[in-house]
Amino acid sequence: MGTVRTLSLLAALLALLIAVPPFLDLSWQNALVNVLIASLFALAFNLLAGQAGLLSFGHAAYFGVGAFAALHLMIAVEDGLAFPTPLLPLAGAAAGFLAGLVAGYFATMRSGVYFALVTLAIAELLHSLAPHLAGTFGGEAGISSMRMPWGGIVFGSMLEVYYLTLGWVVLCGLGLWAYTRTPFGRLTLALRDNEQRVRFLGYDAHRSKVVVFAISAMASGVAGSLLAISNETANYSLFATDVSAQVVLQTFVGGSTVFFGPVIGAAIFTLFSFLVSDLTRSWLFYQGLIFVLVMLYAPTGIGGILYGLVRNRRQIDWSRLAWPALQSVVGGLLVAGGVVFLTESAAVLFGQDYAARRQGAGALPAYDLFGVSWNPVGVLTWLVPAILLLGGVALLVTGRRQIDGVKGRRDAPTAEPAPLGGAS
Amino acid sequence: MSRTTNPPALRLAGVTKSFGPIEVLQKLDLDIVPGERHAVIGPNGAGKSTLFNLISGLFAPSSGDIALNGRSIAGLSPHRINRAGLARSFQITNIFHRLSVFENVRLGVLARHGVRYGLFRPVGRMRRVNEETAEVLARVGLTPRADTLAGDLTYSEQRALEIGMTLTTGADVILLDEPTAGMSREETAQAAELIRSVTAGKTLLMVEHDMSVVFSLCDRVSVLVYGSILATDTPAGISANRAVQEAYLGEETA
Repeated sequence: MGTVRTLSLLAALLALLIAVPPFLDLSWQNALVNVLIASLFALAFNLLAGQAGLLSFGHAAYFGVGAFAALHLMIAVEDGLAFPTPLLPLAGAAAGFLAGLVAGYFATMRSGVYFALVTLAIAELLHSLAPHLAGTFGGEAGISSMRMPWGGIVFGSMLEVYYLTLGWVVLCGLGLWAYTRTPFGRLTLALRDNEQRVRFLGYDAHRSKVVVFAISAMASGVAGSLLAISNETANYSLFATDVSAQVVLQTFVGGSTVFFGPVIGAAIFTLFSFLVSDLTRSWLFYQGLIFVLVMLYAPTGIGGILYGLVRNRRQIDWSRLAWPALQSVVGGLLVAGGVVFLTESAAVLFGQDYAARRQGAGALPAYDLFGVSWNPVGVLTWLVPAILLLGGVALLVTGRRQIDGVKGRRDAPTAEPAPLGGAS
Repeated sequence: MSRTTNPPALRLAGVTKSFGPIEVLQKLDLDIVPGERHAVIGPNGAGKSTLFNLISGLFAPSSGDIALNGRSIAGLSPHRINRAGLARSFQITNIFHRLSVFENVRLGVLARHGVRYGLFRPVGRMRRVNEETAEVLARVGLTPRADTLAGDLTYSEQRALEIGMTLTTGADVILLDEPTAGMSREETAQAAELIRSVTAGKTLLMVEHDMSVVFSLCDRVSVLVYGSILATDTPAGISANRAVQEAYLGEETA
């Protein structure tokens, strides 16, 4: 049973998520909180984008609304309202749901590009309105509050916040998964496939889409409220386009056709920004590059590839695949090395610091990268990335050829049917 | 065909539809008797598809009225017309390609059971729904293909699924739009048999080009030419009708 295996895998993952964090330092705990929040946000987004086929470019709106709703409730709790701290995300859920009902009513009147544009416009509207609405969104500075103790739990440490977040994310994630097995969950997939036929079967397609939208916005609101609880503050930048864009990138890199795919993308991107953003200012460029490469060479996302491998595991000749796969990995690493070298060199050479030094020296001075000094006009400086790139590409191409040879023509990499679509 | 007791299953009275300056249907009158199998034939561009789209609610008529079992349905949305008891199939196969055959049919069964926003019970545990779905699949001969993705079915299987889905919502008036289009001779014969068996006890209105299907299956035939009904009669009467021969049937032999 695939379901049993999936569940036991998830149980093992959950056990790790419960057991490991106490041994991590604060910054890692915080990073994991962000991973969990991004995961829930991506799952919520994918309910709309992957399952209902409605690509929203403005999901930051519902994430942000949830965050502000939770903060207002936290402020009320600070002022003496008796409300249990662990249930604060309910405010995010309610606010997200209501915002989703209203916005979804208008957005789902159209589909495709027009739907995407309406959702984008709604988020932009909030983004430009919020700084002026000091009462609700606290102006440009935003609003802040404190987590209040409840039931003997102080909610002062990051670890307590982590477990609260974990609880809500697991609860909502399972809820969204159970959703796919309900009649309405199946109808959601039918809406994606053929909205017209849904109507002729006697369903009110518009109203159904509004409900899907509202549920997606509700879960997004919970994710936003968890961020508010963790940060104890929020401002209008939560409504920004890059928040909306991040969840799109994460979902599609992770794989929108597999239920837990978005979690993979959310985890990778969040950890990537946590680990890499301190090392280089070009991390957003790398992130964009990853997105483009995944879309070009693995349009079903990482989750889609993993799902395909697991599903076809008996047909795949693993022993023959191992060597070309290793070759491809090494090739990929070499290419990555070459790209990073060039990007970081460009970042230095076209930077302000270097411009100042160049003016002082009157020539092209050497620059430091990876602990080594490089001469910008030296042969070696450009030979290293050239060798890395060419060698990497050569390995990738030969590896790819061998993999195609092993796979044969019979399962050419066409779009794999989604597991969500196949299950009955 | 006036009846004092029962209203017609479907009545079109003075139905006109224009797209801009073009009148596709002109003051069209048509009564469909409950329980009959009625075919609409006519040359391409006569307005057959528009007629179906008006009845099923894809478009609203420009003027005139459409009544289902005595109740006006003109201008209602497709899902309301469906709930009022009319279901249609499509000329171009209109199924859920990325869902299994079983799920395609089950969505129709769920709609009939009124489970439109079912969020609190797994659909796998709805025994009656799943049993009825299996029954419909058996009736259209798709039981062995239940778990196949609908998009992977052969063309004639997809047409059978199309008919199966049209049946599921429990409507008593069925509109089939060229159910045998694109089929081989044997497939057409099978499809006609299928239509005969699954529409027993229901009212059927179908657009069909294959005259052998029309003549073997239908009680009455209406000929639609340039947006108006030229004649409505039994199949024998239609083939003997001179005006029809000139306008339509003659073209085929000429």
